[in-house]
Amino acid sequence: MYFAQLAVNGLVQGLVISLAAMSITLVFGIVRFPNAATGDVMTVGAFSGLVVYPMTGSLLASGIFAVIVTAAVALISHLLVFRRLAGRSVVALLVASIGVGFVLRSIMGLVFGHQPMVFSMPLSRPYRIGGLAINPLDLQLALLAAVMLALAFAVLHLTPIGRQMRAVADNPSLARVSGIRSGRVLAALWVLAGAIAGAGGVMLGVKTVVNPEMGWDMLMPAFAAAIFGGIGSPAGALLAGLILGVVQEMSTPFVGFTYKIALSFAIMLVVLLRRPTGLLGRIEGVR
Amino acid sequence: MSILTIRGLRGGYSEVDILNGIDLDLDDGEILTVAGTNGAGKSTLAKAIVGLLPRSSGTISFMGKDIMPLSAEARMGLGMGYVPQVANVFANLSILENLQVVAGSSRQRIDELFETFPLLAERRRMRAGSLSGGERQQLAFARALVPKPRLMLLDEPTAALSPNKVADSFALIRRLPSLGVSVLIVEQRARQSLAISNRGCILDSGLVALEGDAKTLLADEKAAELYLGNIGASH
Repeated sequence: MYFAQLAVNGLVQGLVISLAAMSITLVFGIVRFPNAATGDVMTVGAFSGLVVYPMTGSLLASGIFAVIVTAAVALISHLLVFRRLAGRSVVALLVASIGVGFVLRSIMGLVFGHQPMVFSMPLSRPYRIGGLAINPLDLQLALLAAVMLALAFAVLHLTPIGRQMRAVADNPSLARVSGIRSGRVLAALWVLAGAIAGAGGVMLGVKTVVNPEMGWDMLMPAFAAAIFGGIGSPAGALLAGLILGVVQEMSTPFVGFTYKIALSFAIMLVVLLRRPTGLLGRIEGVR
Repeated sequence: MSILTIRGLRGGYSEVDILNGIDLDLDDGEILTVAGTNGAGKSTLAKAIVGLLPRSSGTISFMGKDIMPLSAEARMGLGMGYVPQVANVFANLSILENLQVVAGSSRQRIDELFETFPLLAERRRMRAGSLSGGERQQLAFARALVPKPRLMLLDEPTAALSPNKVADSFALIRRLPSLGVSVLIVEQRARQSLAISNRGCILDSGLVALEGDAKTLLADEKAAELYLGNIGASH
């Protein structure tokens, strides 16, 4: 039962990783570079939620506000930086994204300071299901993540702009000669990727403490999940994030809090040695 | 009346020109075969016309409009359709999605195309990447026909087909002018392609070496010797 409890806790942690990984994998699948600013966009989401929460007392309102802000931040970063670097090397775009992340982190530090801040959530009694204790807050967060993920998949598979995103990811030249306007598609992609990262940021902020470095710390597990799931595969990112979250939590009794991240990386390494394209990946683009 | 007029077209992928000053005309309702040896610049010419060549100069007019300053997306919007030689479908999208993503797509137009290509209609939910070479070719044609183009550019449309599917492909191309579509085919199977064409041109080192009526070209001894191979060799 103890391990089942850890697994449940790990699922919530895994959803945060999944959201971050999906944001990374969406951008990689279409713009073809690892966006190192993703973690800092999450931080912007966490601080945005933190601003609204005391005024409304609503996690949903905080989440919606954070998603709007981070979608706007991601779109602005595209318009001001990444669009201007279109056609440059992956390394150039990666370095630019590190720079964008640094700027966002600095702004957060200037505005909010570097002291850890928390969402002052009301105390609640956990639900008892079998022998498992499930925190109502975790359920709310899981619901927020599930809605966000469902929304992302719905956009990708059920809307014209989502299909166009997948087409551009699949075959950029063919997309051009099919009359697909890449400017519109890229703008929509950055809005979606930013919104997903923002939702992840609010979840991370609620579960831990909010400070300007929180997103940067999240970047490695998020990259690991994106690669583990198969870079460019949103479904892979979701699955890998959940697996990494559960493995990290369940390994805590054996390796302690400090090394639990290392264990999940070791598992990722073994899987990638056996299947270099990741769990669901073909290294072709967003599918 | 000329639907496509090319004058002094030069260009390539890097600093070296592959096209060295091509002049070419395609009349409305016509099928034109562009043949030539490997490396003559046939596929490069098709890419230059649709706007996918990184570097090009000269003039290309489509339906009387200078399209050189336009992007590939804008050129397609004017009424061009292009079927590349390879990677000519969105492999990770379903057949239906391949048709839905094209600019100007509508349910009615997709239904019309499913009537023309009933095999695709039966398999509309299948992933395009799982189709055979012939099925992919049908989907590539259907995708290019979605916006009702006035001009179709086909780059080696029979290259990936089994011999028994080649005749089907040429039969389909032959029907296109009756749908109001002019056709420019870049083709290695020059004899078969010329047999369904009104006119042909043969490229050599990025220049038009021979041009004329398709039947005349097929009967031309010099063309046969230098560019078209022995009769039957290309079949």
